[in-house]
Amino acid sequence: MSDVAVRVDHVSKSFRMYHERNQTLKSAIMRGRTSVHEDFWALQDVSFDVPEGSTFGLIGSNGSGKSTLLKCLAKIYYPNKGTITHFGKLAAMLEVGSGFHHELSGRENIYLNGSILGMSRKEIDRKFDDIVGFSGVEQFIDQPVKNYSSGMYVRLGFSVAINVDPDILVVDEVLAVGDAEFQKKCFDKFAEFKRVGKTVILVSHSMESVRSMCDHAAWLNKGTLKAVGEAAPTIAAYEASLNNG
Amino acid sequence: MNYLKEVLASRELLINLTMREVKGKYKRTVFGQLWSLANPLALMLIYTFVFSFIFRIQLEPGDPSGLDVFAIWLLCGLLPWIFFANVLNSGITSLVSNAGLIQKVAFSRVVLPLSQVASAAYNWLFEIAVLVVVLTILGAFVLPWLPLVVVAMVLLAGFAAGLALMLSIANVYFRDTQWFLSIILQLWMYLSPVIYPVSLVADASEDAGGVLGTPVTILDLYHLNPMVYFLEVFRNLLYDNRWPDPMSWLICLAWALGALLVGFWVFRRNERNLAEAL
Ligand SMILES: Nc1ncnc2c1ncn2[C@@H]1O[C@H](COP(=O)(O)OP(=O)(O)OP(=O)(O)O)[C@@H](O)[C@H]1O
Ligand SMILES: [Mg+2]
Repeated sequence: MSDVAVRVDHVSKSFRMYHERNQTLKSAIMRGRTSVHEDFWALQDVSFDVPEGSTFGLIGSNGSGKSTLLKCLAKIYYPNKGTITHFGKLAAMLEVGSGFHHELSGRENIYLNGSILGMSRKEIDRKFDDIVGFSGVEQFIDQPVKNYSSGMYVRLGFSVAINVDPDILVVDEVLAVGDAEFQKKCFDKFAEFKRVGKTVILVSHSMESVRSMCDHAAWLNKGTLKAVGEAAPTIAAYEASLNNG
Repeated sequence: MNYLKEVLASRELLINLTMREVKGKYKRTVFGQLWSLANPLALMLIYTFVFSFIFRIQLEPGDPSGLDVFAIWLLCGLLPWIFFANVLNSGITSLVSNAGLIQKVAFSRVVLPLSQVASAAYNWLFEIAVLVVVLTILGAFVLPWLPLVVVAMVLLAGFAAGLALMLSIANVYFRDTQWFLSIILQLWMYLSPVIYPVSLVADASEDAGGVLGTPVTILDLYHLNPMVYFLEVFRNLLYDNRWPDPMSWLICLAWALGALLVGFWVFRRNERNLAEAL
């Protein structure tokens, strides 16, 4: 087997489920406490390896903890137990266009968004034409983004994010938006990533796309890992569980 | 130390976020940057009318500058105060108003409050530059003092930044902190020598004697407020054109360093939890 790109090692993550949450000083003082909560385990003891150069699908029903796991990968959340190690530069695309500023032009937003995602100015200068080309919004690049259609907004955001050029790309269901042409462009981009030996980890509810793109997959159910391995058997197991209710 | 490195590594993001604030604010307004002068000028007019014309506050002329204009004396303290208040007001909401970004992208969170400090500082620099031009036209010999003015500005910015870091975290957990802040800032302004000189407090304190029979005077208590020292330093440099008391410099430095240390410490302890707490 090839090398490991990401190692998820006994990861557990809990959230607080609030029965009462006093988010103002006034109510905290009047009620004499800040919150009443219990722990809810969104991930329990999840372990798997993502092989380098694979396209790895993460599947499971709503609320099974897929986004939570991706956020732990992206260092937005920190697991309560266990560790996540990745080998190579990791970039996460959990939402496109985060941090776009409505009054600023597309051009200015590319620089702003790029730097939020960790690119240097020089890097963005160099990739600027690629980013604009891929997004297909050349004509509107000096317009404020508030005048963009929602599809254009997503296109631009996605183009910036994909040009971060990481070794490991983590994507959460962001492809659902955008027209067919753009979706195809994105799938081609993922295929290109695979060709050059980069790792892609993606969440999708479309078993079609997972089947066609991924070679490996993991199935999460209510925070626990049900199956992991080659894509086809994992997807089959998941679909079987759906059909059996 | 590691933390400083991380902040330094994000300086490009910091610059971009600051420019976003600066550009977004006055974008597509006819007078652009001039708007940042509107608020201080309006306050200058009304305070001058009320406190100089109606209440007839008497000032010593600037020594050695010889200036004797209430409105200008006022601005030398009002501009630093407005900067300070702006930093706290915009810094305190910097995390809550960027909740979406924090929950979706990993980046050095500290750049959010710091970019508010930087964008307020940008406007402040512009205001001070205009003030320096006016002072020079009025005959004050302020140019040689400019390097020290910059040092004082850095100290005040550090003090404000430290407080903003703590407040931004507090506001995540208790969303009404920002409303308390606006009340506190109003009280704080009247407890600081912004629109009246400290000498008036000294006179009143002399008349009143020790507080509750102790040797502690009202003036002593008054000096617990760090802004007293900051404003003194600014007025000495800009209006009087003389060296501030070295003790005042030291106290400003201590408050700035103290606020920054505690601010960064509080921020660092809480930043990992932000995505969940928001
Ligand atoms: N910040 C949070 N605070 C409290 N609970 C949370 C938080 N984020 C997620 N959860 C809970 O964790 C569980 C897993 O959520 P997650 O978003 O990871 O699901 P998902 O697998 O991505 O689902 P979907 O397919 O709907 O996107 C859910 O029950 C959700 O309510
Ligand atoms: Mg999800």
